[in-house]
Amino acid sequence: MRVERSQPTALVTRPQTGSWHEFDVQLAFYALALGIIGLVMAWTNSPDGALQPGSTFARGLIWFAVAIVAFSLAAAFDYRWLRTFSWLLYLVNIGLLLVTLAVGTGIGGVQRWVTILGLQFQFSEISKVLMIAVLAAYLAARQDKLGNLSTLIGAGLLTAPPFVLVMIQPDLGTSLVFGAILVGALFLCGASLRWLTIAAAAAVSALPVIWAVLQDYQRQRILSFFDPSSDPQGAGYQVIQSQIAVGSGGIFGKGLTNGTQSAANLLPVQSTDFAFAGLLEQLGFVGGLVVFLLFIGLIWRVLLVGWRSDSVFGVAFAGGVTAMLVFQLLVNAGMVSGIMPVTGIPLPFITHGGASLISTAIALGVLQSIHMHVSRAPW
Amino acid sequence: MLGRPEPPRSRLGVRFAAVGLVFVLVIGLLTTRLFYLQVMQGGYFAGLAEANQSATVALPAARGLIYDREGRPLAINVPSYVVRIRPADLPYPNRDAVVGELSTLLDIPSSQIIQQLDSYANRQFDQVQIASDVPSDVARILIEDSRNLPGVAVTVDERREYEYGSLMADVIGYNGQVSASELADLSGLGYQSGDELGRAGVEESYESELRGVNGQQQVERDASGRIIRTVQVTQEPQAGDSLELTLDVQTQQEVLDSIDWALNYVHLQRAVMIVMNPQNGQILAMVSLPTYDDNQFALGISSADYQALLDDPNHPLINWAIGDQFPPGSTYKLVTGSGALMDGIITDTTQLQTAGYLEIGSYKYYDWNRKGFGLQDIYQGFAHSSDTFFYQLAGDLGIDRLAQWAQQWGFGARTGIDLPGEVPGIVPTNAWKESVFNQPIYPGEVYQAGIGQGYDAVTPLQLLNAYAALANGGTLYEPQVVNRVLAPDGSVVQDFQPKVLAQVGVSPSVLEIMRQAARDVVTSRTTTLNLTDEPIAIAGKTGTAEFGTRDANGHLPYHTWFVGYVPNPPNAPFDASATNSQLAILCFAYASNTRGNAAVEIVKYFLQEHYHLGIDLTRPDLLQAGFEYAGH
Repeated sequence: MRVERSQPTALVTRPQTGSWHEFDVQLAFYALALGIIGLVMAWTNSPDGALQPGSTFARGLIWFAVAIVAFSLAAAFDYRWLRTFSWLLYLVNIGLLLVTLAVGTGIGGVQRWVTILGLQFQFSEISKVLMIAVLAAYLAARQDKLGNLSTLIGAGLLTAPPFVLVMIQPDLGTSLVFGAILVGALFLCGASLRWLTIAAAAAVSALPVIWAVLQDYQRQRILSFFDPSSDPQGAGYQVIQSQIAVGSGGIFGKGLTNGTQSAANLLPVQSTDFAFAGLLEQLGFVGGLVVFLLFIGLIWRVLLVGWRSDSVFGVAFAGGVTAMLVFQLLVNAGMVSGIMPVTGIPLPFITHGGASLISTAIALGVLQSIHMHVSRAPW
Repeated sequence: MLGRPEPPRSRLGVRFAAVGLVFVLVIGLLTTRLFYLQVMQGGYFAGLAEANQSATVALPAARGLIYDREGRPLAINVPSYVVRIRPADLPYPNRDAVVGELSTLLDIPSSQIIQQLDSYANRQFDQVQIASDVPSDVARILIEDSRNLPGVAVTVDERREYEYGSLMADVIGYNGQVSASELADLSGLGYQSGDELGRAGVEESYESELRGVNGQQQVERDASGRIIRTVQVTQEPQAGDSLELTLDVQTQQEVLDSIDWALNYVHLQRAVMIVMNPQNGQILAMVSLPTYDDNQFALGISSADYQALLDDPNHPLINWAIGDQFPPGSTYKLVTGSGALMDGIITDTTQLQTAGYLEIGSYKYYDWNRKGFGLQDIYQGFAHSSDTFFYQLAGDLGIDRLAQWAQQWGFGARTGIDLPGEVPGIVPTNAWKESVFNQPIYPGEVYQAGIGQGYDAVTPLQLLNAYAALANGGTLYEPQVVNRVLAPDGSVVQDFQPKVLAQVGVSPSVLEIMRQAARDVVTSRTTTLNLTDEPIAIAGKTGTAEFGTRDANGHLPYHTWFVGYVPNPPNAPFDASATNSQLAILCFAYASNTRGNAAVEIVKYFLQEHYHLGIDLTRPDLLQAGFEYAGH
């Protein structure tokens, strides 16, 4: 309750103050459970000794702790300040992405990771949650014109700069997450369905243009997704190896640390993008179902926060978070099981990556804040 | 509540439901997919995962060794750390990082590694060799960092070590890794990626004897391609057979020393010296300069170094003893003289008038001695190397008859030596001139053909082989550099017997005349000066062959030749009837342009060294540049 006392309630002009009694324990539980599963996977992916400094597990542990702190702070923070400072958040967001482009590093000449204190950090992950907040603030400001085309265009223009900045890193996958967030937030808070449909049609018809600007390796990934065997050792390699890992896991899996595919590096970037394949190999179909059930619980609670929210900001934020999580789940789990192309999209909690975890933790923390600051409606 | 009457939820209920439905569909789709992969197809994929783990890899066979005739090791195998990549195990996104690290540690340009990998685009499961002879500390780093280097394997292999390097390089040659494109043709012969293939010398010509048979083993690999353990050896490798050369390192060194001595005084762009046993065609020494160090190849030559070898205008990689043909000059008078004697144009007592030149129409064909030698018989004509004497013989023989005699001596055809890259030489005939130049041969060209100029072109080895036949009584042997093939246990697999190519169709009496004439070359001192003062009664013939284009003073550059043989025993007095010589020798000084005959000086030096004569009759002054001598 110390956190509660430190809340800047005195500065809030609105009467409502956050109440920890409204803290959504279920939401926190599902997130915590998923986070712990992610840590277990990090353990199995640290074959040189999980307790060695710098091992995947050791790093995962640090990030896990940081994520809990971030979650708590975000929950304690009155989310309404996010509306006040949304323009600042937006500038910070753009700034981080520009910094990434300037000093970022990555395999194959991409600018994706920024090294802070020896830990590699992917600002585009943080950018996701910042973008959700900015969009929610924008939509809240236009809550009386949500059905207008102008709102749709405004939200699109707001999303475009980070979308482009991430795309030219190049990180097509993450930039598509921005698209999902945009759609999710707009849809849930009541944007015009007609214009949404027209915009979606326009986006589809723009696909040939996007194809033209794709990097060769990205095109190859997409092509090899449609026919992995056409390039079994190039981009299709990952798809095939990942399917072998997943399939060979069977119903109950090979047991933790017994994954032969994920034992080392048959799964290419398995400690990151393909971590879920390692989980499915070691824990099998049952393990996958457990993860899915936890996600179902989590999304249920996220949507519930939006549903119970008394503000457009809350609804839009929940919509953005839902879209982000579902889209990433679909693309990542689809990727490791061979029904989605290979993109660098992490599976929240499971993929070992500090930025992704913290980004998700902040998003869920803000949702807690929304939940705690809601004026209880009598329903 | 900002004056907003109602939360939005009431009219958004459908949208929440729609989002929930989408989510349920997503989960349903993923669950179905996992059910298919893991439950329905689980067994199939489990099999694939297992297959991923085991692999059949080659157990490379040890390459046969190479010894000289005294059993001195010339080419051996030494352990070496080899770095290879199995492209199938190197995921594309990791490629740049892995290649970058290898490039840094191995000091090889990334582009070279990429190029190497790309050439195996269709053979992704092969091991692509990236570097050999990696220092052990670098190898250790690579092994320790193997988690970050998927697909990279570091193994201890054997590599070639050439004990004498450039001394023997032209004969021994070198090996190179079989390339991806060659593999398409060779995989039927059991070649695998990473195998070595002879590229030059006996390494190439005896490839099938040396290479052995690779074994096979089933191994369990971890995911990054490292071998965890050997499951079983399904086929033991069989080491290749070894070669015992006919060459003698000692003699080879003396030959090289002789040329090196001359190089103190004259720059020779190229030089060839061959020592052969006339009784069986065995090559005792063969030096071709410039040469190269075959250890460069054994260590993995850099592309820059290799390009430098290719770009050198004097082509160090070519064995000039067999790899190109040159005008033989007056040494060819053996053909003209013996042919004229055989065809009855002259006898050994016939005297012909020699002069400063002969005329055909308005053209003058000069003797090297512008005063002529007066009346000369075959002995004197050969000894003085009178051009006008042999012009007349060639004119009387005619080009086609002359060509027939040349072919009798083995010219115009490869000797069949067991080394790669031999050229056949040119023996001009009427038909040849017609086919190449669409013209008949002109009388003046017949004259030139009679003295080894014009279109005549021979390899140094052909020329030596002809004089070896002169020395042994008319037998043309197929020259050989390998004496025996030995199994790994030392037993003899193959013992090469002397192989007779042909009997030169020249009667013993004419051969004896020509042997005496060859001795008279030396004793007359005309072209060989003090060679006759050596306590070895060598017989032979000099040659000076002009070629190329005239310099500012109208001089043509010229090669100098000497080819001859030594009596048996070497200190025996000369006997023209003797056919038991054990040593024939040839020296070819390319574009020597020296005052004297550089080849004679080099041979002199060699005789003094080889027979420990304890005297020094060499004349460095004759190795100075100058055209005034230009003796034949």
